[in-house]
Amino acid sequence: MIKVLFFGPVADRVQTREMQVEFAPGMTLHDVIAHIGMQYPGAFSIVSFIAVNQQQVHDKQTVLHDNDEIAFMAKFSGG
Amino acid sequence: MSEPVRIQEADFSQDEEIAALKVSSKSIGGIATFLGCARDFSEGRDVSEISFEAYGSMALAEMQKLRSEAIDRFGLLDARIVHRVTTVRAGDNIVFIAAAAEHRAAAFDGCRWMIDELKQRVPIWKKEITPQGESWVTPHP
Repeated sequence: MIKVLFFGPVADRVQTREMQVEFAPGMTLHDVIAHIGMQYPGAFSIVSFIAVNQQQVHDKQTVLHDNDEIAFMAKFSGG
Repeated sequence: MSEPVRIQEADFSQDEEIAALKVSSKSIGGIATFLGCARDFSEGRDVSEISFEAYGSMALAEMQKLRSEAIDRFGLLDARIVHRVTTVRAGDNIVFIAAAAEHRAAAFDGCRWMIDELKQRVPIWKKEITPQGESWVTPHP
């Protein structure tokens, strides 16, 4: 399974903070975005940062592994 | 002795953070600090509370990296970063940053750099709670 986390304004749009996506060999980040985007259209328009296993990634073709943790995040506003 | 980089609900003591820095080295000639606190207004609206949310593990790792980078980049002798993640009211403390160096220029520069980088790089979000409702804050430069 892939663990998907949402924070702040993104969590509000998806109306959950966490979901599980079934892992399939060869799966990419793009596949997960497409899967969730179908259920929550517009949820990704405010996503500015994506992390896989707590490392920021820019390449949506990043290949995922079973038990990976993905986070979708809006622009940060701490401090 | 508390960790030099922390995310916590509880308030912090600037005196305790500075005391922790001072015992780390007798070569410190200056400590620059930044204290971020909650305002009671934002963009023309009253703000009654500010609620923080963080991707805790990533935020802490990024803050630790930020501290190490600041020490290397500005030749600091030590540095501390504490960010609260909770709901605060006007006047409450939010974030504390301190940079200790042999001379003031490095301390000022290192402190400024850390708070600027924190705002850009650390996954923390704030939501303002106003009499008219709640809204996530859009980052400011």
